[in-house]
Amino acid sequence: MPSRRTRFYEAVSFTTLSDEARIALDNMTDFAWSLGSPSLRLGVTGLSRAGKTVFITALIHNLTHGGRLPMFEPWRAGRLLGADIRPQLHPDVPTFDYRGHVRKLTDTRVWPESTRQISELRLTIAYESATFLGRSLGRGKLDLDIVDYPGEWLLDLPLLSKDYRSFCRETIERAREPRRTAIAADWLTHTSGIDPLGPADDEAAGRLHELFSAYLGTARSGSLALSMVPPGRFLMPGDLAGSPALTFAPLDLPETGEAPHDSLWALMESRFEAYKDVVVRPFFRTHFARLDRQVVLVDVLSALNGGREALLDLEVALGEILACFRPGHSSWLGQVLTRRIDRLLFAATKADHLHHFSHDRLELILRRLTDRAIARASFSGAEVEVKAIAAVRATREATVRRDGESLPCILGVPQEGELLDDHLYDGREEIALFPGDLPDNPQALFRTPEADEPPRDALRFLRFRPPPVEVTAEGVSLSLPHIRLDRALDFLLGDRLA
Amino acid sequence: MTRRPTAFDLAADDVRHVRPGEAPPPDAATVIVEEAMEAEDLPAPLPVARRRFAWSRVFFTAVGGILSLAIGLWLDQLVRDLFARDDWLGWLAIALIALAVVAVVAIAVREIAGLIWLKRIDRMRQRADIAAARDDRPEAEAVVDELVKLYADRPDLAPGRRATEARTGDVIDGRDRLVLAEADLLAPLDAAARRLVSDAAARVSVVTAVSPRAAIDVIFVVVATLGLIRRLAAIYGGRPGFIGLARLTRLVLTHLAVTGSIAVGDGLAQQLIGHGLAAKLSARLGEGVINGLLTARVGIAAIDVCRPLPFLERRRPQLSEIMAGIRARRAN
Repeated sequence: MPSRRTRFYEAVSFTTLSDEARIALDNMTDFAWSLGSPSLRLGVTGLSRAGKTVFITALIHNLTHGGRLPMFEPWRAGRLLGADIRPQLHPDVPTFDYRGHVRKLTDTRVWPESTRQISELRLTIAYESATFLGRSLGRGKLDLDIVDYPGEWLLDLPLLSKDYRSFCRETIERAREPRRTAIAADWLTHTSGIDPLGPADDEAAGRLHELFSAYLGTARSGSLALSMVPPGRFLMPGDLAGSPALTFAPLDLPETGEAPHDSLWALMESRFEAYKDVVVRPFFRTHFARLDRQVVLVDVLSALNGGREALLDLEVALGEILACFRPGHSSWLGQVLTRRIDRLLFAATKADHLHHFSHDRLELILRRLTDRAIARASFSGAEVEVKAIAAVRATREATVRRDGESLPCILGVPQEGELLDDHLYDGREEIALFPGDLPDNPQALFRTPEADEPPRDALRFLRFRPPPVEVTAEGVSLSLPHIRLDRALDFLLGDRLA
Repeated sequence: MTRRPTAFDLAADDVRHVRPGEAPPPDAATVIVEEAMEAEDLPAPLPVARRRFAWSRVFFTAVGGILSLAIGLWLDQLVRDLFARDDWLGWLAIALIALAVVAVVAIAVREIAGLIWLKRIDRMRQRADIAAARDDRPEAEAVVDELVKLYADRPDLAPGRRATEARTGDVIDGRDRLVLAEADLLAPLDAAARRLVSDAAARVSVVTAVSPRAAIDVIFVVVATLGLIRRLAAIYGGRPGFIGLARLTRLVLTHLAVTGSIAVGDGLAQQLIGHGLAAKLSARLGEGVINGLLTARVGIAAIDVCRPLPFLERRRPQLSEIMAGIRARRAN
């Protein structure tokens, strides 16, 4: 256990002192502007494909369309009056395309594509306060600010506390792991043939960058499902593609020494620092340094599909990212100067891909994945919860009885291109799927397998298409079904709507 | 045995898909029984009645104040008169007044403690109810902690307390935690309470059957019922004073009125028919049975009100069981 002092330095090391000052200044301006109309910043964090966009869409849809949220106390008590999308906080950021996403989900029944750029939204929730004082003095409204962004960008946050040398060392070490050698071979051989002390050459840098991003892309996609693939903008460059700050790659650096003037090493190092300053730090400062509540969405199931290595990789990635946030007990003065995350929800998304008998086990796995972050947050006084949720429920549940055996299954339409037992699904046929049993003890998934043990293939999760939205006799479409979204909302927002 | 991931095509020939509400077919090799989408529903909270400003309370406070002043004046005069007559009489009066004041304070403290206990029990039960319905682990944990604290000075519950504390890390689900605490801590209390109720019911039946005058058995029923309520509260850890008992009785009677309809399904019909038979044999015997029955019902309602947790897994005592308890005792 590190002492308080070292913990303090750890916390500060990835932001500079001037950053801290600007964050505090931003906080005070916000406070002055929003005097009397409280706002709540909800940080929806999750790696790519964790379901951030769907979570935000479902949250807005259920709140604006009066969805069924029985476990959300203000809804249950009938105190929720409605919600509306309002002009957002930053005028220079695109607005979250809520209507487009809903149309896609309900009309064509496909999931939103992966997010390519940052977007923002303010949802104003009108409610009747439960207390006399709140009713007579309060505004009866809560502004909820939510940001959606490509999950890959989150991988950049840990870079803030690293210098170029440690970035290179860690990246190359990771690329030499057995699972990655095959896909990293091209880039690794090319890098080892290049002398970092050689002259700075823009073209060589470009070539290296190309090979390196190709390797990251393969690691992220497909059956490998690896998570620890920084820098994130290499995968999802947004409008910065091709700019010098994005055209660098790790080099095989010598153990000691400084970068000589005008060397390739010096060029790469300066670009790496520029990347941190121009890309990562503003992103962190405007969107993550000042959150009140945070929900961490984790797609545990696809990591389980990817096997033990994918799971371990996810653990590392989550650990590094979550170390960048500031959980803690928030006080009134703290609200003004340094906002802190006082409630933190870890959500295993896509829980509808499992029968609800297994949800407890899914939560245990997520708890095990994030135990260090949970311990850190609880120690600093934040409330932490772990839940298995599905923001949009794509499946129904069933029990299959066959040969005297009964299997807990889910019913749904697998997405086009999903594969199980050499059967390729076309996105139209409906199946009942038994995805396998999650282990009783999550530790079984993390330990190194014995040498003669056959590889585990006891789990297979298919992706399902969004559910058809039911329409009542009057032609009113009902809200999207979900699993425990109401509990998640109650934990994240409930006390602010009291 | 590990079960491999398997997919079943709903359109295949040997597969039958049973939608919710349909009966499963007898044939077909593979049957897929779809489960209805379960909706989590909590009891809707009752609308909170707005409290109006209580003028009656102001009135009684004012009158009380005036009366206290009058009594003070009278006491002052009394003490002065006694001192005028003889010194030692005056001192005696002062000592007696001091004693009375101390006693009043002690009584007030006890009353307040009793009322606080009642409120606490009520809140705990509500919290436990919601925690069980939501399967909320931290909340359940908090309720169980409070329960252990409530019974911390009860030597007879030491094994239950130890068992509850030992289970802290073992259980994941909030509801299960409450269920286990109920089994460990409240089961012995429930058994004692049940015996108490059936004893009281038996006594009331017998006294009613043999009492020479109606007035006597009315008084006896009232005294026995109040005693029963007080002793039930004591079993579950409360020591209500006079006001506490009055409030408790009111709660029990309200509860009885609310749950009255439930009792009809609870073997009351048979009991009444039984009463008819008994009444055929002897009018007084029939009255005895009816009075015993009512006492038992009051007792069950009192258990509901005094118990710090709702009945989760354990069965709520039934009227028929209590009456069966009486018969069993008679047979012995």
